[in-house]
Amino acid sequence: MTLDYNQQHLIKMANQIAGNMPTRENVPAQIVQHMTQFWTPPMRADLKKIAENKAESLSDEVLAALALQD
Amino acid sequence: MNKPIEIAIEDIDLGTPAALSDSTVTVHIDGQAVEVPAGTSVMRAASLAGTQIPKLCATDSLDAFGSCRLCLVEIEGRKGTPASCTTPCQEGMSVKTQTPRLDKLRKGVMELYISDHPLDCLTCSANGDCELQDMAGVVGLRSVRYEEGSNHLEAGKDNSNPYFSFDASKCIVCSRCVRACSEVQGTFALTIAARGFESKVSPSEENAFLDSECVSCGACVQACPTATLQEKQVIDLGVPTRKVKTTCAYCGVGCSFVAELRGDELVRMVPDKQGGANAGHSCVKGRFAWGYATHSDRITRPLVRETTDSEWREVDWPEAIAFAADRFKAIQQQHGVDALGGITSSRCTNEEVYVVQKMVRAALRTNNVDTCARVCHSPTGYGLKQTFGTSAGTQDFASVQQADAIMVIGANPTDAHPVFGSRMKRRLREGAKLIVIDPRSIDLVQSPHIKATEHLQLQPGTNVAVVNALAHVIATEGWIDEAFVQERCDVASFNAWRRFITLAENSPENLAEISGVPAEMIRSAAATYAKAGNGAIYYGLGVTEHSQGSTMVMAMANLAMATGNIGRNGVGVNPLRGQNNVQGACDMGSFPHEFSGYRHVSDETVREQFTALWGVDLREEPGMRIPNMLDAAVSGQFRGMYIQGEDIAQSDPNSQHVADALSAMDCVVVQDLFLNETSKFAHVFLPGTSFLEKDGTFTNAERRINRVRPVVPPASGLAEWEVTCALSKAMGYSMDYANASEIMDEIAALTPTFAGVSFDLLDELGSIQWPCNEQAPEGTPIMHAERFVRGEGQFITTPYVPTDERSTRKFPLLLTTGRILSQYNVGAQTRRTNNTVWHAEDILEIHEADAELRGVSDGDWIEVASRAGSTRMRAHISDDIPAGVVYTTFHHPVSGTNVITTDNSDWATNCPEYKVTAVEIRPSSAIAVGV
Repeated sequence: MTLDYNQQHLIKMANQIAGNMPTRENVPAQIVQHMTQFWTPPMRADLKKIAENKAESLSDEVLAALALQD
Repeated sequence: MNKPIEIAIEDIDLGTPAALSDSTVTVHIDGQAVEVPAGTSVMRAASLAGTQIPKLCATDSLDAFGSCRLCLVEIEGRKGTPASCTTPCQEGMSVKTQTPRLDKLRKGVMELYISDHPLDCLTCSANGDCELQDMAGVVGLRSVRYEEGSNHLEAGKDNSNPYFSFDASKCIVCSRCVRACSEVQGTFALTIAARGFESKVSPSEENAFLDSECVSCGACVQACPTATLQEKQVIDLGVPTRKVKTTCAYCGVGCSFVAELRGDELVRMVPDKQGGANAGHSCVKGRFAWGYATHSDRITRPLVRETTDSEWREVDWPEAIAFAADRFKAIQQQHGVDALGGITSSRCTNEEVYVVQKMVRAALRTNNVDTCARVCHSPTGYGLKQTFGTSAGTQDFASVQQADAIMVIGANPTDAHPVFGSRMKRRLREGAKLIVIDPRSIDLVQSPHIKATEHLQLQPGTNVAVVNALAHVIATEGWIDEAFVQERCDVASFNAWRRFITLAENSPENLAEISGVPAEMIRSAAATYAKAGNGAIYYGLGVTEHSQGSTMVMAMANLAMATGNIGRNGVGVNPLRGQNNVQGACDMGSFPHEFSGYRHVSDETVREQFTALWGVDLREEPGMRIPNMLDAAVSGQFRGMYIQGEDIAQSDPNSQHVADALSAMDCVVVQDLFLNETSKFAHVFLPGTSFLEKDGTFTNAERRINRVRPVVPPASGLAEWEVTCALSKAMGYSMDYANASEIMDEIAALTPTFAGVSFDLLDELGSIQWPCNEQAPEGTPIMHAERFVRGEGQFITTPYVPTDERSTRKFPLLLTTGRILSQYNVGAQTRRTNNTVWHAEDILEIHEADAELRGVSDGDWIEVASRAGSTRMRAHISDDIPAGVVYTTFHHPVSGTNVITTDNSDWATNCPEYKVTAVEIRPSSAIAVGV
């Protein structure tokens, strides 16, 4: 899967959110809450597709957050 | 109903400033009893009693001076004839202001003044607006007995300043200009040189004004009682004949001005003494730099074109609106409603912004609306809402006058918010301590009569580390205000924060190497802030425009709550907003996830209120932010955009990416004053209105809602909100308002913090600081006084996470950007004024060691290259910045500073990281353009 600019930026944003959560407790849930509040549904769906095809680009916490959304 | 645009303006000069005492005294002025605060001068008391004592050196914006000897009075039981301006009232004092002795003395004084003054009143440019002329009349001077002798009548003029003239022949050496420069502006550029007959006003030791330290704030011109210091516009056009009170459209201070006109021609802008934000002061931009409004570059007829490589075609309004609507509808049909979006502008009124976001949500049927605050203060919105409960500064500007320790972080108030900067400097001269946290030595660090107690000259990108270290010291030294925390804050969150912040990893010693700030300086600054009494934080884009901008805002909020510095005068956490209506644009529901008043679109109760009033179903999911829209455009998913008053091709980071995104769209509609970098990619250009043509409100950085009144009619024939409504209607959704006042009424009906606001109340009170509602019918100067908006203050742990943008061998320097006094943002306005005499181009400031290493001399052309791109500008070798850091402004499109800034952004809000870009500098000939 070749990533376009939009996808690369989504990956960067998601990993950055994971890395900056105030506490390290329950980071995936915090990520979910943040993305629900500020990301559009297509952005969340695009990130999910990336996770399916290019999981190595996302942090474990982001992947766990996406799993929570299932 | 709209009020008439011209309103009564109180302009009686009471002679000396108000006394602040709570106790009063009663005095008798010519037999009339008047009760005044203790400490009030006899002159002011007389004026309040309706008796204007003649004066020349006195004015109520300046401390009494007592030099002109015109305001003499007789006081029962006292010898002589004391000056009324310097004599304080005492209980029971009986004063006579008019006696034959006083008449004779005053006439004698005036006779001496006039003996050395040109007798050209009829042809003088100040004829009818001259206090010397007025006083000659008041004292009944009919002739001058003195024969011609030595005088100053041939003294020359200094026309070097582009906006005002200094005619020394008309100077009476009253020192009002000198005192205004010192007391009001705080620059101390003017002095009285020499003594006695040789005395004269001298800018920076007898320089020309333009070459002096003068910052052209206009305070001296305002204070001058004669034609000595006068606006060139008045000299050219004549004395104004009518006045309209309105609000400046530059920075977030939001100064009130009186626009003075002859007919429909604006002669001058005079700062309003009653202005809540500025109290009669101004800066060079608001006072003088408004000529862009009539610049020949103004576009006043709508333009359209099929493709961006074809010529613009001038059309009438209906055709332009139909053209845009047809394109937008076609995009909706082919790509769906979320292929469109809009951007609101912080340069526009609340009413104009409100209708744009309403059009996007209701007519375009998407939440893809964002505002230029995305690229400046969106982290403020996030951080203060999380901690305090709402996105707003906590204080009014006047609060700084009660501060004991002032912490300025990532802001440069004397340049970017100069009128507030002057107010702050006044407090600092009175003895308040100052902590500056900034990589640069901004003027506040050391300027006349001001020296920062501590300057924490940190590495760009390490704000959070430094504030965590400050908090660590406060927590470990036992300086927490435990009572405040227990009473006002969420204790569980505080305990978690305390555990975090006291970890050794947050100690100043541990973070010194990262931040570049010595541990002992951090410890000293922590003591200064925590132990001063009233500690106040003021911050700017040097806080927000980082990858951890939101974290930093929360770190500052933690610091203020931990020390109990919230909820009263003299304290608080205060964003200095960049543009005039950043606060308002955010308040009005410009963010893609929020309706007006910062309520999430997913809140069903709120959405139902909007649905009921707007008559349309609204989306419950957040829309795209500006960078998301641009990314989606590059990917082909986003196809059309309505851009209100923002030049994103110049102002947003990574210009090439912005250009790629705009080029990929099928329809870009730009609403602005001038064709700009963004309009190069536009298909429709809708001419906007300057602030002089607007009718509405701006909300400044202290939440103060000010009226913007139309000074002249819209050059394009339509108000901007009318244009937006026309496009909305063409898209199938009608928005019908008879005037801007009706829009505010709708805002008030839907926004709890604006519930009590109306144009009528604004006209009555002058201005209102929100929240304005049943609980606070006249507004709220200080927020969180009894409880936080969210209830209890929320502490949030703020781990320091370094930015990805780091200096490397290829790009070893860190570039940070900022604003200069004379220019404003992308320069669309100020570049079209005479302000270019001070700053005609963007310059890169570089430390001597870095310059020498690269063979760069002062004034050399250089290439500045980052991983995003490269640009050319000239270098200035400066010791204001440390080695390893370079600095420039972004006012000129030719230098294109944002060509080199990257797409890094704040983790929570996507606010661009303008303040940290790794770059390399080389002499211009040594590097190819483009990277």
